[in-house]
Amino acid sequence: MTGNWLLQRAIPGLTSPGVVAIAVGYFVVVAAIATWATRRTQSANDFFVAGAGVGLWTLAIAKMAATLSGFAFIGGPGLVYTIGMGAVFIILPGALTNALGAWVLAKRMRLLGEARGLFTVPDAIGARYRSRLAQGLAAVAVLIAVVGYVGTNLLALGFVIDAIFGTGLSMGIWIGTAVILAYSVGGGIMAGIYTDVFQGSVMALASAVVFVFALKSGGGMVHISRTIMAADAQFLGPWGRIGPMAAISFFFVFSVGSLGQPHVIHKFYMLRDPRQLKWYPLLLTVALAVTQLLYVSVGIAMKALVVSDTIAPLARADQATPQFLLHYTPTLVAGLVFSGVAAAIMATVNSFMSVGAAALTHDLPIAFGRKAKDELRMGRLSTIALALLAAVVAQSSGTLVAFLGIFGWGLFGSTIVPSLAIGLNWEGATRAGAIASISAGLCITLVGETLAYFKVYGLPSGVSVSAIALVASLLVFFVVSWFTRRSAPGSIDPDIRLVMDA
Amino acid sequence: MKRALIRLLVLCCCLVALAYGTLFVSASPPPWAPIMLAVGANGVILTLMAIGAMRRDTLPRSLAWTFIGLFVLCAGAFVAALLMPAHEGVGGALLLGLPLRTAILLYGVGVVPIAVLPFAYAWTFDSSTLNDEDLARVRAEQARLRAGNEG
Repeated sequence: MTGNWLLQRAIPGLTSPGVVAIAVGYFVVVAAIATWATRRTQSANDFFVAGAGVGLWTLAIAKMAATLSGFAFIGGPGLVYTIGMGAVFIILPGALTNALGAWVLAKRMRLLGEARGLFTVPDAIGARYRSRLAQGLAAVAVLIAVVGYVGTNLLALGFVIDAIFGTGLSMGIWIGTAVILAYSVGGGIMAGIYTDVFQGSVMALASAVVFVFALKSGGGMVHISRTIMAADAQFLGPWGRIGPMAAISFFFVFSVGSLGQPHVIHKFYMLRDPRQLKWYPLLLTVALAVTQLLYVSVGIAMKALVVSDTIAPLARADQATPQFLLHYTPTLVAGLVFSGVAAAIMATVNSFMSVGAAALTHDLPIAFGRKAKDELRMGRLSTIALALLAAVVAQSSGTLVAFLGIFGWGLFGSTIVPSLAIGLNWEGATRAGAIASISAGLCITLVGETLAYFKVYGLPSGVSVSAIALVASLLVFFVVSWFTRRSAPGSIDPDIRLVMDA
Repeated sequence: MKRALIRLLVLCCCLVALAYGTLFVSASPPPWAPIMLAVGANGVILTLMAIGAMRRDTLPRSLAWTFIGLFVLCAGAFVAALLMPAHEGVGGALLLGLPLRTAILLYGVGVVPIAVLPFAYAWTFDSSTLNDEDLARVRAEQARLRAGNEG
């Protein structure tokens, strides 16, 4: 859903010795961590779930880094600058979703992984319903969304690298792709998750520092609010410029949909000790809250600076963060933030490539009754293939990448939330219900977004395809499960039931 | 109890669907549509939490009240923001730096749950989610099932 907003049209050049030095330092640290992790990657289990040996802090920070893409630093503040408080409803669910994920999924996913040696989200769906078809359909949804998501993120990374190093967009995309591939192919998610810890720390630090500068630039929150209220009352109203239906729709889709994001929830498999989950929601919620401070503060501060004629109106909303950094923060902070943007994008891309490669080498073959002989090697080859495909998509820099980018969040939410999040907690869910809801989510999202993108049919203002797909797939899941309820009791394997009851 | 919560979840999903349905009937939705959407969306979230927190068809009383309280708070913050008159112009009241309606919504839905939910999860983790005995029991059962399958 955030894909089209991720498309930065332009970022002003930031090429300066200080920014370049920080960015180079950042890439050197990433390379060092990746080299270390690559040496530890010996099996498919290491490659896809980090050997199920990750500690709590690592899990929480890596999940935070994977959750937030470059959108949180560039597109998000631009959206706040454009539609005001309405954009906050995309991140507002963060106060609830980590505890929600902990209660609904964390323990059961972790124990399921241990019981069956699972390492993908479609794996869990297949095991829950003893259904290769459900697993295959979920894998197809994951693959479609991953190519679009990775394409939009690589394009955003190309813009960032171009802005810092002056490489040109096309070369920036290829350099970014090469850097991510270098550590993703060698170390898989093992490299990804440990670089995520470093990258997540950079993101949190950058966001907290910029938050202070943002408040300072406008003379404090009260002064900022008074300035905006005098010029544009609607901007700081509870719904911003988008109205209550659209704002609450954001809240619904980004809260409930969070239970279906495979690049985030598959990390539950990686936790070494399930008892460590006790403090997981607290750590993740605090990390997310700190890292999202920039999202809100820069958009609002820039609005106040523009309406008070302190700076000229922005040519494009995406320039809110770069312009703020150039005018109101020291060079070192700008360098830190742009490293943070690169970090956010790379962390997300690595996670997506991991779940995409696993869908390609593990879930789809299982759906067709086969199993790859050497999943580690096939995983590496799939990662390369997916990255190259996404990079080619990103090079189209416009129609194709924007079209594919819009599928992401909604497709994951509508196909995975009912079958997995509810299915793992409700014995009454049936195989037919899961297959029907995944199919409904796939069809409604793909057809709806395609019709809307090509302007064949547009939904009424205040509702999105993602929201319709999510609520429809939930209702289809319940209705079909109810009609096929007689098949429910015998359809759960004893070890899966044990996990569901744990 | 889980059956009742599943029914509640279905009801909340229906509220969300009905709220969206009003947009297809009329270009300007009735004033109760956003209220229905807010109640439905918060209902889905907190009912899912309650279903996830259940074990052996029971939900600890402390968690039940936590979820009910947070539903009232979150849905109430949305409804309050929808029903209160707009005063976001010059001279409008501020609460902690934000216009009143915005502050109620932002702090009610975005801040208070941060101070409640992670601690509720941690405090009930040993008794209601997973303790050492639970883990040992599950692992022993899994081992027994595996041995049975291999045998």
